[in-house]
Formats: sequence, structure tokens, C-alpha cells
Amino acid sequence: MSDAGVVRLLLFRVGRLLCAAEAERVREILPRLEPTRIPGAPPVVAGVVNVRGSLVTLVEGWRALRQPDPSGDGGAGVSGTTVLLEVGGGKKVLGFTVDEVVDLVSVAGESLDRRQALPGIDPTLVRAVGRRADQLFVVLDTDALLTPILSS
Amino acid sequence: MDLSQYAELFLAESREHLSACNQLLLDWEKSPANLAPVGGLFRAVHTVKGMAATMGYARVTDLAHRAENLLDLLRRGGRTATDELLQLLFRARDALEQAVELSVVGREEEIDVAEVIADLEGAATQLGRGGVAAGDIDARPTLVAVPAPAVETPVAAGRLVQVTLRAEAPIKGGRALLVTKKAQALGPVYAVTPPESAFEADEFDGRFSFRIGGAAGAEEIERAVRAAGDVERVTVGGEERRAAPGAAGPPTVPPETKSRHIRVDLGRLDGLMDLIGELVTVRGRLNELAASARDPAIDDVAIQVSRLSRELQDEIIQARMTPVWQVFDRFPRLVRDLARELGKQVAFRVEGKEIELDRAILDELGDPLLHLLRNAVDHGVESPAERRRRGKKPEAEIVLAAVRERASVAISVRDDGRGIDRKRILERAQRDGIVDPHAEALSDDQLLRVLARPGFSTADAVTSVSGRGVGIDVAVTRIRALGGSIDVRSEEGKGTTFVMRLPVTLAIVRALIAGVGTERYALPLTYVAETVEFGVQATTIVEGREAIVLRDRVVPLVHLRRLLGVSGDAPTRCPIIVLEMGERRSGVVVDGMLGQQEIVVKGFDAPQGTLPVFSGATIMGDGVPTLILDAGGLV
Repeated sequence: MSDAGVVRLLLFRVGRLLCAAEAERVREILPRLEPTRIPGAPPVVAGVVNVRGSLVTLVEGWRALRQPDPSGDGGAGVSGTTVLLEVGGGKKVLGFTVDEVVDLVSVAGESLDRRQALPGIDPTLVRAVGRRADQLFVVLDTDALLTPILSS
Repeated sequence: MDLSQYAELFLAESREHLSACNQLLLDWEKSPANLAPVGGLFRAVHTVKGMAATMGYARVTDLAHRAENLLDLLRRGGRTATDELLQLLFRARDALEQAVELSVVGREEEIDVAEVIADLEGAATQLGRGGVAAGDIDARPTLVAVPAPAVETPVAAGRLVQVTLRAEAPIKGGRALLVTKKAQALGPVYAVTPPESAFEADEFDGRFSFRIGGAAGAEEIERAVRAAGDVERVTVGGEERRAAPGAAGPPTVPPETKSRHIRVDLGRLDGLMDLIGELVTVRGRLNELAASARDPAIDDVAIQVSRLSRELQDEIIQARMTPVWQVFDRFPRLVRDLARELGKQVAFRVEGKEIELDRAILDELGDPLLHLLRNAVDHGVESPAERRRRGKKPEAEIVLAAVRERASVAISVRDDGRGIDRKRILERAQRDGIVDPHAEALSDDQLLRVLARPGFSTADAVTSVSGRGVGIDVAVTRIRALGGSIDVRSEEGKGTTFVMRLPVTLAIVRALIAGVGTERYALPLTYVAETVEFGVQATTIVEGREAIVLRDRVVPLVHLRRLLGVSGDAPTRCPIIVLEMGERRSGVVVDGMLGQQEIVVKGFDAPQGTLPVFSGATIMGDGVPTLILDAGGLV
């Protein structure tokens, strides 16, 4: 992400984390889709889903970001939304489950803080930290988050 | 004029001609006194030259021109092939191929052909007429490919007729065809330049020429030509005594028998395939709805839609079918070069060239075959001296064959060489801990498993050809990814055969839908031999694996529930799906069979750790994704 200029970000919540992904990496936002299990795949992979005739591998957001299991959290609700993200320069598309999509915002590149250390999240997954209405959000490095899941 | 849109076409056609050149050179090498291949070479190179000139690829044109020049001298002089000449021509062909490839991607300046050109010139000079002939046969860069003569030009080549159509004439191509048709009424028309096939091209400017035989006078010819309409200028020359080389040809093919083939971008076919895939999925949904609606009118429509979409699907699959020679044709040259390099004598034969496979599968076969053929030449066959010592004829035989089997195609690479040294492989495998140290022999199956291990090699020395251990593993992995299987048979002293079995098409297959717990899996029928019932059939333990005996053959069992980690207990009686891949069999135990249906095979991004038993996934009529089991991973 360039220092200058405006960056468009999609904000979403996963567990207790407010996260963001660059909007240009977001292909689509869909309701929760029922996955078909892929035997042998790690738990972070929910399975494969049908997106209008294309098969998309679905990653469970709360597991990827090490958040508490939403279904076990006193019935706080299952992750409700699927965000389709482009991975590896748009060559692949993965589904990523989030609890809710919060907002689509445009922020000035320089207003983002390059710092990566934020409690509760693996620093290698963080590209920057931003602030929205007194709430911190992490801009996720979606490639770093999702590519290792795919490469076999 | 922007020609870039023709670059693809130029590349494809040049490749075809250059591939033909390889075959022709090999033919000539086999029977050096036969001049027919030289004529063919001349025509192929000439065509490439013409196309390159049109495209403005000066270096390709130049190189082709020099090669053509030499070939022309050879065919006229009736020269017998010498090794030196053949080497030079092979080199020139390779250089031409490289030049073509570089030109198309706009890297023409990287083409370095000075040396080949110098050698071609040198050879031409030696043959006597070098310098003179070079000027003689000049490329006409403004013209589209000139078809070269299929037979030697007659001395009297008829009158040259040059025609220019009115600049404002619409459909110039059609008009030009009409002119040649009118002229045909007076005598045989040939050497149409540019060729009739180019009339319909956008760049055709309405200027063309042809030769006409027969006794018609100049006036009569002009009248006939003008009768076609829209003709601005006609000049009818006298009888030409000497035809310009390459400019004359046999009587032209009448337009109505023109090729009925067109080139279609593969991406288009893929697009069609995707669409029909969607349609098949929707069809499944429609059938389900029709079944629950119980309305005869809806049923009728559903049946019609089913029939139409099936026919459409068959047509599209047919359009994707490509004969295997499109990949096989490059191998004779490869085997020859390898054999030469390694000092071996090899007679290479190709069988079943016309067998067809889905383009998508065929495109993936080049590499595996390359590895297997390299292995055959390098490790499989012995040197001529060794063969003589063993009482074999010094020339080894390697056969690449394609055979259609039920719903699959078997492609084999067979050599009559020394066979695989099982003892050495066994020792090596035991040393590496791949095989039980007490094993006394390796079955063909185990042999393949050992050979297919990445990096496994017992070659004495790493040669430039093979022996680094890559090869078999590459072939096995690739074939498995295509939903196929690979088998090896080897007999010491007699030879080795690798057989690859591949589905004819990847796109849409009939599959059994099996249920395991609450999950469904699809199993393509390609390799399903039969189904029997578990719980009725007595099971036994063979080599530590549970198995059933079916008509005196042991069929090891795979419990899908256990393999896929589905919780819960299997029913006591359940079906066993018996898979058969060549000689190998296995019985897959599932909870139940949910029917058969056509499925559209789709890829999915398999996450790391995914069990290696899936060849893809499909979407069922209810929209739920279902994974497709790969028979190769289960037997």
C-alpha cells in the first residue's frame, strides 16, 4: 500500500478483532455458505463452497485469526458472512468467513500506522494499524494469512 | 496494417510446418535416395517463408529463404542425403523454429542465425549454383504465402493473368474467387497468388494473379475475367516458358472443396465447456424439480432439455477432441537426437496416432512422455555392441502407442532393452528404507512405487539426458493429476513397458454417487468394474490388507469411511465398488450408493494436507459441492 493517496478498506469483525482488507482484493461479499468438508485439510479450512458454479475453498476466519469459537461463545452466533478475497495477485480466490462486515472506508495512506504489534494477533499477519471512531483496526496481510493454507 | 492479430495463427501454422519438416527429415534420413521428402521440405519451408514475409519478420524470411534455396538445389539435383547435409538441415529447421518463436513475441533482435545461414550458403555454393540461385528465388515480401508446387512444374506453365479489382469493390475475396471460377471454364487455373485461402483475409487488397493453361487467347481470357465484374485491370501475359520456382502449382482446388476446418481459440472451447457444465448442473436441478412436481407437461420439457443439453455436450466434447499425433509428432526427432547423442541405434515407431483425447489432457502429456522416452533411450536400450553380445539385433526398438480402451485411452512406451534391474532397485530401496529389508523381490507395482519416488535413480552416471532421478516421478504425478494411472511391466533382458491410462475427457464424466455417513462422493465410472456387497462376501487378509477374492483374484479393500475420517459406524451390509486400472484392482467400501449421474469436473484449490485421493470436485443438482474420488489414488 502506498504511503500517499487514499486506500479503500473493507472493515469486518472476526471475534473481538476489527479487521480490514484492501477493498481491491475483495471480490465479493456473500452470506454464509454451507461448505463441503475436504478430508485431510486442516481445521482452519471449512471446506469448499459453491459460488454460482465455481468452487471456492472456504477459510474459517475465527480459526485463522485465533479467535474464540463463535458457536461455543454462549450462542453469540456463527460467523455470518463470507468475504471472497483475491490471493496471490488475483490468481486465486478464497472465501473467508467473518462475523459481520462493518464498513467500507477510504482512509489516507499516511493515517495508517505501520506498526504491527497489536495484542492478540500474529504480527506477521498485520500490514498496518488504523483507527476508526476510537477503535483500532488491523489491516490484514491477506496473502500472508491465506497463502500458507493453500500451498501443499 | 496491424498484423499482430495474425501472430497466433502464424505461430500455429509455422509450428505445424516445422513439425512436418522434422518428420520429413527423419524420412529422408531413413531412405536417403528417396527425394519425395525433399520436395515436401521445400514446400513447408517455402510456406513459412511466405507467411513470415507477410508478417514482416525479416530474419525468419531470410533464414527460410536460404534453407529453401538449398532445398531447391537438392531436389533439382536429385542429391542423396548425406549425414552432413541432414545435420545442417536439422540445425536450420531448429534455428527456424526458434526464429519463429522469438519473432512472434517481439524478440526478433535476439535471433542469431548468422552461423546457420553461413553454413547453408556454404552448402549451397558447394552444390554448384549457390550465389546465382539465391537471387533467383527471391522472396516477395508483399505477397501472402505462395503455395509451393506439389509436383514438378511443367515446362510450359500457361499464361500469367494479373488482375486488379476496383478499389471500391465490396467483398473482394468473393469477387476474386468468381474471377478464378470464370477463368476455369477456359482452362486449368493454378498458381493463384495469393492463394485462394487468403482472399478472405482482411488484408487482401484485390490484386492477385494466376496462371491459366489451355488454348484460350488473351482476349478471351480477359473477357471471361471481366465478366466476373468489379475488375479494374487485367493483363494477360504470353506463354511462360519457365515458371518462377515456387510460383507455379497444380490446378487449384475448386473453392467448394476448400478446407472445412477452422481454427478456434482453445479458450473459446473452454468457455463453451464451462457453460455446458453449468447447463448440466441446472439440468440436474430441473430434473429434480420435475420429479417432485409430478406434472407431465413439466416432465416433457425436462426430458427435452435433458436430451438437447446432452447432445450439445457431446458436440462440444467432440470439438475438444484432438488426435494424439499433435503431441506425438515431435518425438521421432527427439528420440533420434537422443539416440545419436548416446551412441545408440533406435528404430522408433508410433502407433495409434489417430486416437483422440481431450485437448486439455493431451496438452499435459508432452512432459510425461518426454521423460519416459528419455528414460527408454538412455536407460532402457543397450548400446549396439552390448545388444550384439546378448544376441539381439543392434538396432533397438522403442514403440509409442495409443490404444482406446472402454472409456479410457492407454498410452504406452515400450522398449526391447535390458529391462529394469530389479535386484539393484531392491537393494537400493532397502538401503533407503523404502522397502521392507526382508523383501526378496519387487512386484511390478512395488517397482513403480519405488521408481516414482522423487529423486530416485540407480543410473550409474548422471547423463545429460536423464539419470538425475527426475522422470518417472514427474510422469506419475502428472498422470495422476489428470485422473489417470500409470503401470510398469519389465522383464530382465527383454525390455520395459510403461502404460499410462487416461480418461478420454476431463470435462464431464458419468459417476457413481456414493454415500459415506452424511457425506457424498462421486466416483467416475471410467474405472468402475462392478459392485459387490460387503458383509455377504467373505473377506480375507492378504499381505496385511483386508481383501475379498473375486473370481480367483484378490481385491484389496479400502474402507472409505476410515480413509476419509468419517465418524460413526458403517452399516453391516454395504456395497463394495470394485475399481480396475489395468492390472490393479481395489474394492472401495462405502455406506450406500445414491445413483449414477453425469458430473461436471471442476478444479478446486486443495488446501495443504488434503488427502491425495481427489481428482476434483463437482456441483450436484442441489447446488452442494461434492468431491470426486480419484481411482488412481485408491487402487
